[in-house]
Formats: sequence, structure tokens, C-alpha cells
Amino acid sequence: MKRRISPTLIALALAVFLFFVGGLIQPGFTSFELAMNILRLAAFLGIVAAGQTLVIISGGEGIDLSVGAMVTLGAIISYGLISKRDDRILIGLLASLGAGMIIGTFNGIGVAYLRIPPLVMTLGMATVIQGLIFAVTQGSLEGGSAPLLSKITTEPLLFGIPGILYIWAAFAGLMWLLLQRTRYGKNLFAIGTNRVTARLSGVNVNATVITTYMLCSTLASFGGFIFLGYYERVFLNLGNPYTLPSIAAVVMGGTVLSGGVGSYWGTMAGSIVLTLITSLLTTLRMEEHLRQIVYGAILLVLLAAYGRQRALRQ
Amino acid sequence: MNKVSLSAQHLVKHYGGVVALADGNLEVNAGEVMTLVGANGSGKSTLGKIVTGVVAPDGGRLLLNDREVVFRSPQAARALGIVAVYQELSLVPRMTIAENIWLGHERQGAGAILRDTEMRKKTQELLALFEGTTHNHLDPDLPVASLSPGEKQIVEILKALSWQPSILFLDEATASLDSRQVNRLFELIHEWKRQGMAIVFISHRLDEIYRIADRVTVLRNGRTVAIAPINELSQPELINLMIEGGIAARTNGKQPGPTQTEEILRVDALSTTTLRGVSFVLRRGELVGLGGLQGQGQTELLLALFGAIPYTGRIFLHGQPITLHRPQEAMRHQIAYVPGERNTAGLLPIQSILDNLLLPSWKQYGFPLRIRQAQEDATRVTNVLKLVMAGLDAPVNTLSGGNAQKVVLGKWLLRRPKILLLDDPTKGVDVGTKSEFYKILSELRAEGTSILFYSTDDEELLGLCDRVLVLHDGKITADLSGERLVHSELVAASMGSSA
Repeated sequence: MKRRISPTLIALALAVFLFFVGGLIQPGFTSFELAMNILRLAAFLGIVAAGQTLVIISGGEGIDLSVGAMVTLGAIISYGLISKRDDRILIGLLASLGAGMIIGTFNGIGVAYLRIPPLVMTLGMATVIQGLIFAVTQGSLEGGSAPLLSKITTEPLLFGIPGILYIWAAFAGLMWLLLQRTRYGKNLFAIGTNRVTARLSGVNVNATVITTYMLCSTLASFGGFIFLGYYERVFLNLGNPYTLPSIAAVVMGGTVLSGGVGSYWGTMAGSIVLTLITSLLTTLRMEEHLRQIVYGAILLVLLAAYGRQRALRQ
Repeated sequence: MNKVSLSAQHLVKHYGGVVALADGNLEVNAGEVMTLVGANGSGKSTLGKIVTGVVAPDGGRLLLNDREVVFRSPQAARALGIVAVYQELSLVPRMTIAENIWLGHERQGAGAILRDTEMRKKTQELLALFEGTTHNHLDPDLPVASLSPGEKQIVEILKALSWQPSILFLDEATASLDSRQVNRLFELIHEWKRQGMAIVFISHRLDEIYRIADRVTVLRNGRTVAIAPINELSQPELINLMIEGGIAARTNGKQPGPTQTEEILRVDALSTTTLRGVSFVLRRGELVGLGGLQGQGQTELLLALFGAIPYTGRIFLHGQPITLHRPQEAMRHQIAYVPGERNTAGLLPIQSILDNLLLPSWKQYGFPLRIRQAQEDATRVTNVLKLVMAGLDAPVNTLSGGNAQKVVLGKWLLRRPKILLLDDPTKGVDVGTKSEFYKILSELRAEGTSILFYSTDDEELLGLCDRVLVLHDGKITADLSGERLVHSELVAASMGSSA
């Protein structure tokens, strides 16, 4: 039996390589502060892509194109409810998670019971969320982040490492537990591999699909909450640039687009690589429009290269 | 029309190491109906597929009008006037009746413009052949998806007819037709015969064979054992020809059935889209076979008892009525189902052996899952199964076919099933694994598990089962046990003869 090198390791090696390439281009790139900053940004992408990982493992053409819009909604809900008050952080967090759960449940029901292709369902849902945002805000955004939230997420907490990285590490442990040590995780890989077998082995396929989409939107919304801690301000399409990278991070990490195979470690490595690429492009002092074009092209190439795995399985 | 004749001589076909056809012969002439009969695995469908160009033979030859021909595709056969109507429907549901009928040979005018009006008119003429036998008036513009199974079958027949065949193959073409439609088809066959068409008629219904056939070709174990005029063979004689050793059918030496009589499962008037009122009783530790030709509702019966397809009728477990809407409910009653198509319905191919074995049972391992306990339990099962593997973490698709099938059975052993439903589990499994499989079954029976066992291998049913229920057209036509559990009775009941 031929043993393949783990895609997680490949992505990690690529990250290290890109990091030192950055150092060659600009000596300051390899500094501890910059490395922490890159990891901080990667953590945000990694949390948004966590839900995407679950959705893609679930198979059945599973994909969630509404995560960007959900990030925006989560950020805006938190912004409005927290209103610069530390004591309202928890309320902001719970409300944004709740909104994610509701939206995600709708996505799941559409995919599982109404048999709407995930691509169509979630793309439609992205538009619905965008509409919701306009309805809620009426075009004017009032609120604010809280000092404590920024402190937790952005500033160094221990050993000069920002709090969000501790949160991300704990989160990664929970994701491993969810995927490898819960019945839900086992059922998720089963439905991603073969839904007929799963059903005939007593797996409730629809419930598993709905739970998966629900978790995905909830985590995207959580990502929005974190975003608020980073930037302390919101705007109407802040999450949009993260939809495609969330998918790219997942497939770079070895999660197969046809489902049934994947890990969160891989997604974490993929998030770091993508964030490094963005930083490198910034370092190159490329103009904004050119940077977007190059970044978009890199994402396309990555997706095309990894998407080929789909053809390897029937 | 010229006088056609087709003659297949000494055809041979292997699939891997399996001989599907050892010496297949068939002949049919203009103006006659030749019928092809044989038990499961006799090579009937292989012979039909070779003659209509679907598969290429490994040996033998085909003579069309006394000249040797080689078909590389069904299209090649069709070009020479040989057209088949298959039971598995080949229609495109979203297209209309007319579009389906002319698919592949659309009438074209100048510049490849389709001659719509002409095709519609021709379609109407074809549909008129079955006028009055269908529930709804059939219009050329109706989408095929809106038709009943019988109506679809009619369109299938008309589609074949639109090619103006000189030799027509009807393979189980009457299976979904009602009696009125069958009568009309038979009238038409008489008419086509007069026009000089040659017809090969394959059916599992003996009464139909005696009504329509002029001659019969009997296949047994891949060999043509008789070609004779139908009126020279009585029904029992025909059945004897279909089975090994003729009338002196052997009874296999098998262990006597259990003495317990405790009733476990009672099924009363169970119906699905295929089943039409099936009733029987399964006792504790009993191994009951399901026999009959393929596709007579055996799989549907097992799926219904596993809650995987909707049904009407009543099911009692230990005398208590139960309903089975979902597999989970059946599993709660300790009912287990082993599907025959292991790759599409039984396994998670890329996942580990451990994950495959534990899939129905994770619930019992708490949170977080006690993986070590799961590994110990899985190891115990693999020892019982004598599974040959690299390790529990190896993907299940690295196993051989027989070992993979053991995993499909093994995942239920952890749950100690009371009732085990087996859907042709030994198909494509080597002899050694088969006997290990049988041993596991007899151990399960000794522990009190009741087994319902569908097999397409008649020998297996006769050798293994206490009783065999024979299904035909969705009904149980015989409940064979004791002295009656012999091949001749099994084959007779498979053909719907209730002698």
C-alpha cells in the first residue's frame, strides 16, 4: 500500500517556505511581531473555514457560499448589541451565534429535505442575509466594539502571544474531538462517503446534514464576532472576501471536495498559507486592484489543482 | 420482408474466472416465436445480450441468414434488424413519448431539420396499436415521466418497433404489463409473425410461454440443453429440463432445523410497489430462504422489514405489532440488514475497517467515544469473522471481496441481532469465504438469531435453509420444506407454476 504524504504537512512546509521567502523580500517579514500578526489573521480565517470543513466533509456536493455574508451579519449583530460596553460582550456573542444557528438550520433544511443543491441554496441564502443586513441596519450602523473584546483578541496575552491564538488552539482541540471522538463526527464522515450505506446502518442522514450546515453558519457568525475585536468597526460587506478563501483553506488542507475525507489540522495549515500569501502580496507593495487579481488567480489555481482529486474517486 | 433466420452456435462467455455461458445455442426463424427459459444463473441474459450485440462472446459464432456476423455494439445489431426490448427501461423520463421513440433515429429533412409532424404522425400510429388498453389516452407529446410502469413498457416496445426490426427480442417485456396489455401484445405478436418477423420471447411466466411460444430453448448451467417445439413438452418436463439431474433432484445433506417453535416475526399481507400481499412466520433460530427468479420482490421484502422502504400491511415481533418507518426503528428491535451490493450499500469504501464495523453502534460508546473499547470489540468481531486484514485502521477497500462482505455482516454482530436479513450476501464471494460465512450463520442460529436469507443461488438455498419461500411477481408462490425442499419444486414455483 502506497502511503501518501499528509496534505497537512505539505501545507505546513509551504507556509514555512513562504514565510522565509517573505523574509528574503523584506527582512522585517520574519520578525516575531509580524509572525504573530499573520497567525492572528490566520486564526480568523481558520475559524470561518472550520464550518466549511464540516460542510465539505459531509459530501453530496456540500459547500457553503453564505459564510461571507454570515460573517458580516455576525459582526454587525455583535457591533450593535455590544455598543462599546464590556458587560454586553456575552450578549453580543450569544445573539450572533443564535443568528448563525437559525440561518444554518434553514440552509440545512433546504439541502436535506428540499434537495436544493448546496451551491444554489447557500448562494441564495447569502443574498437573503445581505437583505437582512440592510433591513436591520437601515443603512446606518450604530454601536461599537468593547475594549475588553479587542484586548482578548488582539493584544498579547501571555508570552507575547495574542489571546486569539490561545482561543484558536483550544478551538482546534474541540474540532478534533468533534470529528474523531463523537458520534456526530463518525456519522459526518459516513454520510460524506456513502449516504446509502450510512442510512442502512442507522445514521439519520438528514439530521446530520442539518447539524452540519447549522454549525457552519454558527462558526461563520463567531468569526464575525472575532472580526469586530480585530477591527473595532464594521461595514456592510466585510465578510465577502472570506467566502472563497474559506473553501481554498479547506481543500489545501487535504479535505476532499467530494466528501468523506478531511481534518481540521489541514484547514488550519491552509488558513496560514493563504494568510501568508496575502501578507506577501502586501509586502510586495502591489497596488490594491493588482493584489486582488493575483490573489484571486492564486485561489483559482489552488482550487483547480486540489479539485482534481474529485476525479480520482468514483 | 425477406425470410430471416438467426442462429447462435456454441457461444461462450467468461466474466473473470466465472463461466457465464459455456455452450449457448439459439435459433429463430421468420414467422415464429422462440422462447428462452432457464433458472437463475443459467446464462439466459448473457445469451440474449450476445445475440443483440450488448456483449461480445469469447467463443462461438452467430449466423444471420446463414452468413456469419460479428456485432460490435447494439447499434450494429440494430442496423441488421435485430432489436431488443429490455425490462430495465431505457427511456429518458423528461422527454416526450415521441422524442423517446425516435431518439437516435430522428427523421430529418433538408439541413438536418427534424421532421416533427411526420414523427408525431408515426408515433400516433404506433400508439394506436395499444389503443384502449391504457388507463389514459397516450399522446405523443406526453412526457414519459408521467406514465405508469406498464405504459412506459409499452413505449419501450413501440420504440423497438419504430426501428422496424426483422428479429425482435422481448426480455421480460410483459413483467409490468396488465393482462389486457399482455393480451394485446400477444395479438400483435401473432400479426408480426404473419408479416414474417422472428421473435425471441423471454419470460418468467410459464403460462405466457405456453400461450405464445412456438418453440422453446432451455438453458441450464450455461448450456443449451434442449431446443424443441413447445407442444412436445409438458410443464413438468420443461421444468425437469431446467434443473440438474432431471426429476431425480437431489436433497442436500443438511443439519436438521431447530426444535424451537417460538414465533419471532409474523408478517401479514405486506405490500410495497413490488410486493403484493406477502404473509409468513419466522421462528426463533430458524433459517428461512427467499427464492425465485431475480427481481420478484425479495429485496423489497427485506428492505421493508428493515424500515428502509414504505410498506402497507402488518408486522408482529413476538406477537406485538410494530411499525418500521426508518432503519433506526428496525435496529431498535434488533433487526439487521446485510445488503447484496456491498460497495454501493454496505460499505464506506475509503473509511477504515474499524469505522465500518462500528458505524451502527457508536451510540453505545458515549462521549467522548471510548475508542479503545471500540477497538477491542471490533477485534473480537474480526476474530469471529476470521478477517484477513492489515489492521483495523486499514481502509476497507483494501480487503478482498469476500473479506469486505464479512465486514458488512460483522458490523451487525456487535449488536447481537434477533433477526438477520440477508440480501444475496454470497454473490461474487469465493468458495472458502462462503463456507466460513455459512458457519457464522449456523453459530448465530444456535444463539437464537432468526435469519431470512435471499439468495440467487438455488443450491445455496437448498443446502442451507430449513424452509424456502419462493417469490414470483411479488407473491409467495410456495413455502417449501422437508421433502418438498428440492430443486424441481423450487424451479417450478419460481416460474409461477403452483403445482
